[in-house]
Amino acid sequence: MARGTAVSRMEPLRVVGRPLPRHDAWDKARARTLYAADWQMPGMLHGAVLRSPYPAARIARLDTTRAAALPGVAAVLTAQDVPNNTLWTDVPGQTSAVGRLRARLQVLAEDRVRFQGEPVALVAAETPEVAAQALELIEVAYAEQPGVFGPEEALQAGAPRVHEEGNLLARWQVQRGDVDAALGRAHVVVDQTYRCQFVDHAYLEPEAGVAWVDADGVVTIRVSTQVIEHFRDVAEVLGLPHSKVRVIAPYIGGGFGGKEDVTVEVFLGLLAWRTRRPVRMVWSRQESLLARPKRHPFILRYRTGAAQDGTLLAQKVEVLADSGAYAYLSALVLLYATVTAAGPYRTPHVAIDARVAYTNNPPTSAMRGFGAMQMVLGYESQMAQVARRLGLDPVELCLRNALRKGDRLPIGQELDTHVAVAEAAQRAWTALGPRRAPARPSHRIGRGLACNIQPYGRIVWLHDWASAWVGFETDGGVVIRTGVPDVGGGQASSLCQIAAEVLGVDPARISIHIADSALTPLAGTTTATRQLYMSGNAVLHAATQLRRQILEVAAQMLETPADRVDLRESSAVTTAGRRVSLAQVMQECARLGVPRDYLGTYHAPAGDPVDLERGGGRVFPDYTFGAHAIEVEVDTETGAVTILRHVACHDVGRAINPQSVEGQIQGGAVMGLGYGLMEEVVVDRGVNLSTSFAAYLIPTSLDVPDVESVIIQSGEGKGPFGARGIGEPPIGPPAAAIANAIEDAVGVRITELPITPERVARALGLVTDGDRG
Amino acid sequence: MPAVPFEYQTPATLAEALELLQPGAGDVRPLAGGQSLVPMLTLRLARPTVVVDLHRLDELRAVRRDNGILEIGALVRHRALERGEGLLNTCPLLQEAAPLIGNVRVRTLGTIGGSLAHADPAAELPAVVQALDGTLVIRSPRGERTVPAQDFFVDILTTALQPGELLVAVRLPILGPRMGSAVEEFSRRAGDFAIVAAVAVVELDSGGRVARARVALAGVGRTPRRLAGAEDALVGVQPSAETFWKVLAGRPLEIAPESDAHASAAYRHHLARVLTVRALERAASAASGEASR
Amino acid sequence: MTELRIVFTLNGERREIQAPAHRTLLHVLRDDLGAVEVKEGCGEGVCGTCTVLLDGEPVSSCLVLAGRAAGRDIMTLRGLGDGDAPHPLQEAFVTHGAAQCGFCTPGMILTAYAFLQENPQASRSEIRRAIAGNLCRCTGYTKIVDAIAAAGREAPPRG
Repeated sequence: MARGTAVSRMEPLRVVGRPLPRHDAWDKARARTLYAADWQMPGMLHGAVLRSPYPAARIARLDTTRAAALPGVAAVLTAQDVPNNTLWTDVPGQTSAVGRLRARLQVLAEDRVRFQGEPVALVAAETPEVAAQALELIEVAYAEQPGVFGPEEALQAGAPRVHEEGNLLARWQVQRGDVDAALGRAHVVVDQTYRCQFVDHAYLEPEAGVAWVDADGVVTIRVSTQVIEHFRDVAEVLGLPHSKVRVIAPYIGGGFGGKEDVTVEVFLGLLAWRTRRPVRMVWSRQESLLARPKRHPFILRYRTGAAQDGTLLAQKVEVLADSGAYAYLSALVLLYATVTAAGPYRTPHVAIDARVAYTNNPPTSAMRGFGAMQMVLGYESQMAQVARRLGLDPVELCLRNALRKGDRLPIGQELDTHVAVAEAAQRAWTALGPRRAPARPSHRIGRGLACNIQPYGRIVWLHDWASAWVGFETDGGVVIRTGVPDVGGGQASSLCQIAAEVLGVDPARISIHIADSALTPLAGTTTATRQLYMSGNAVLHAATQLRRQILEVAAQMLETPADRVDLRESSAVTTAGRRVSLAQVMQECARLGVPRDYLGTYHAPAGDPVDLERGGGRVFPDYTFGAHAIEVEVDTETGAVTILRHVACHDVGRAINPQSVEGQIQGGAVMGLGYGLMEEVVVDRGVNLSTSFAAYLIPTSLDVPDVESVIIQSGEGKGPFGARGIGEPPIGPPAAAIANAIEDAVGVRITELPITPERVARALGLVTDGDRG
Repeated sequence: MPAVPFEYQTPATLAEALELLQPGAGDVRPLAGGQSLVPMLTLRLARPTVVVDLHRLDELRAVRRDNGILEIGALVRHRALERGEGLLNTCPLLQEAAPLIGNVRVRTLGTIGGSLAHADPAAELPAVVQALDGTLVIRSPRGERTVPAQDFFVDILTTALQPGELLVAVRLPILGPRMGSAVEEFSRRAGDFAIVAAVAVVELDSGGRVARARVALAGVGRTPRRLAGAEDALVGVQPSAETFWKVLAGRPLEIAPESDAHASAAYRHHLARVLTVRALERAASAASGEASR
Repeated sequence: MTELRIVFTLNGERREIQAPAHRTLLHVLRDDLGAVEVKEGCGEGVCGTCTVLLDGEPVSSCLVLAGRAAGRDIMTLRGLGDGDAPHPLQEAFVTHGAAQCGFCTPGMILTAYAFLQENPQASRSEIRRAIAGNLCRCTGYTKIVDAIAAAGREAPPRG
């Protein structure tokens, strides 16, 4: 269970802070939840996508005649059938104050394909069988072109261009102090290059949706998505007014950033619009693994300088990322990397140079951690090596350098909330307890620590906002309407808890309706660890305003000043104990014409874009800090690594629902273990070799231990009741903690992910190429 | 994805099944547990004209013991092997190997015959059958023939089965006194195909030395391999991890692994050696446990 | 192409369908019988979201041709507990927070149910082994193991 440090000045709460079962849990346990692919409509067609088998090619010929003639085929579409064949990858969900990302994507390829899996044509047919057959009847002749398959290759002079404007997509640079001079006078310099890999979100629910045109001519798309605001993208592509497209997000079977960009929405909109019939599209796992954007691989070069007592002097960091064939959100991912590159430490001299390049590899975009998580491998591996070289304990090194409230990040932002990294490091490390003994003589035990900093809330330049409508029914029950997609992290449920706290109503009497762009006030994306912060604050604001409204009425009914009336147990109660039910209060509100609802909008503190190279400033609203401690057992004969213990400690500000918080920490940490140990989308010259669950390995119950979560509640988060975001932070530390633990166990430093047994075996000198026995 | 449609037959007798499996105009495939064939159908990689579903053939589920030979019908499920149902418990090696196959659902439907006929080079049961010097029993309308395990696995996903032939049973010698067996598997995750697996069967003499050793490896080439040379060199040694290492260290293993996305050839070589020693050690220990009864 | 008439029992009720032989049990259940509580996660038999119990034993319905259901007893999660009479496993999943996105949940609970029938007092490590074929991407498995262990301790297995 959660062990928290409640800051004593926090007021006691009734509902917030209790580990209540989530309201969607019963439906899920009884399998009543209808996910996107579970929806059926009469006369529904089945849609499918034809994709390029080549990573770089011109389309020499495309003939759909035979496919269109197949009985049961209702439509075959190519680029020329798309009214506006461009998807602008803008920052999804909001109007950007910074201007558009330079990110243009074709809905269907016109004359050129740039990655294996790029969509070329669409079909809709009466049955999935006919759709599959129709795809095979579409005749495409490709002329393969030279491509580039890594960012280093892509940035060489004369490299084939993926896009006309050249292969360098974006660059961020930060300079603080004089890094080279500081490295020159450092007592120890650790110079190391790290490589991390393409990975896939591997949510268990593949991309899916159903679209239809309703009686008012509104194209309605019920889709597994993290962003209902994509209705605007669909409208633009179809050439329709935005008000004529509606996106509904049911409960989704995992997102992790993979359903942040458009997936099936535009295809469904096109097919439904063309055929005027409902259309369902469900991607196969193999298609999803092939074609969906991945996490950015990074090449990280770190030069870290420290004084003899362990004080950090300098960090010189170079980041080179692979955007794959299209930009998507790469420029922003790189920004997150740049902001967090020096880790949660005070570092007077910092130089960061981060670049991302186009290649003909699978495109890369948002995935849990969004660039900040990859950096942990770099800065925490460096810290462990500095500690080792100086003979310092890793916790000691962390304490010596940890950021504190009031410090500034290298990008110039002052940290204006509690920074718990030092405490997290100590608590995680201590919680490992006594070192285990190895199970066999050939095994070695080791321990590693990794701390991290992860932003929550979106970049302040984006002027983020979220709305929520909270209202009472005449019987005193409560309804919440807000556009929050629920990806499984308890997003909707936490909002009910917040409203329940403020309005004094049992969460069981609160209904929440979410994620319908036509019917619920928009709340922005369920990404960037922002939803609890933003929608939580929106609901808190709306509920607080509503509370004020009805308290006035209740106070009159009870003939008591409003400040001596509380709301609890679905009643208004005076300090003396006299009460009136909320149902009665609602009747009185109706009689007086006092509204029983409130539409609230929370605006995140906004800022202007800052020039990182000249002083910088605030980029994110706030950050979540944490530390993981891992104990491993290494088999020195095979290189196999077993995780014996894993403690994950994060400052969550306030745990709205401690059980949900634990679940996020455990799930995120295990996803981080997968990233560290086994997950890799193997891409060979643009050809994806990991297009099945047999090949793409995610952790099973036997691969990971019980992750112990240790929750710090500093109370200073910017979310409701002082909460901070916790969706992304736990995924960052595990890979680095494993690498550090392995070095502790067997003295070898692994700098490339995933840390497979073979990599460890090679580092141990067990494997010689050309070994014939 | 939906499979490409096919004609589907469910014969009630072996004779009927054999007739249906005779090569004809199209591609005819037998269906046992379906754990290998059905995904190929739904990925549209396999497009047979006819699928002959064998599941009504109860005669292929028989398990018999004839003196020192255990005969296992081809449709006996991995789940039965895992649990040692009935006479299957006379072959503890099967109880040790079967749990390594796939996951619980694969074992509910998957069959020993299906696994052997599929001949994935990383599969456990082919190596088990080789290590035991088993015999594969094959039927066709022309009658029955047997093939020793050494000759049955010809190439990747290719066996000695000719078109129109059906694997109906496997015969495995039951281990006698002072004999022990063990499986050592290395996979990326539990339930995955082996990167490398070593199956060892050791017989000790009355002095506790190795009288005979058999080692079969999976994941080290296009087919499972017996280490004939190493086996000869093991005769007469005192069984211990150290001596086994010494015997294996000095010689090339008779394997030809290939590199793939999961592991390099060199690493497979290394694992083959490590796992062989571990399997021999445990098999010898089991053999001396048998001896002390 | 062969059309089959298939008669079987689904969650205790006799069902009869017509389906081409190349269809899988998964799609017959979802598309023809509306049993959308059975999920499609990978089509390879790896993820476990399509798990149903076939005569009480867990199988990947994506790897079973429809014809194999003939004369058999099939159970989905709806057959385990529904409405006012949830099974202790379902209650345990709710109280222990073992479902986040919920997509793995039907297959996970059925697998646990079949396992607990034979191993009611299983240890945590035995439970982990039992569910090793059911992938979860959200929870990290701990709360799932908590729930199964609690259900195993608390309730005698129901038939």
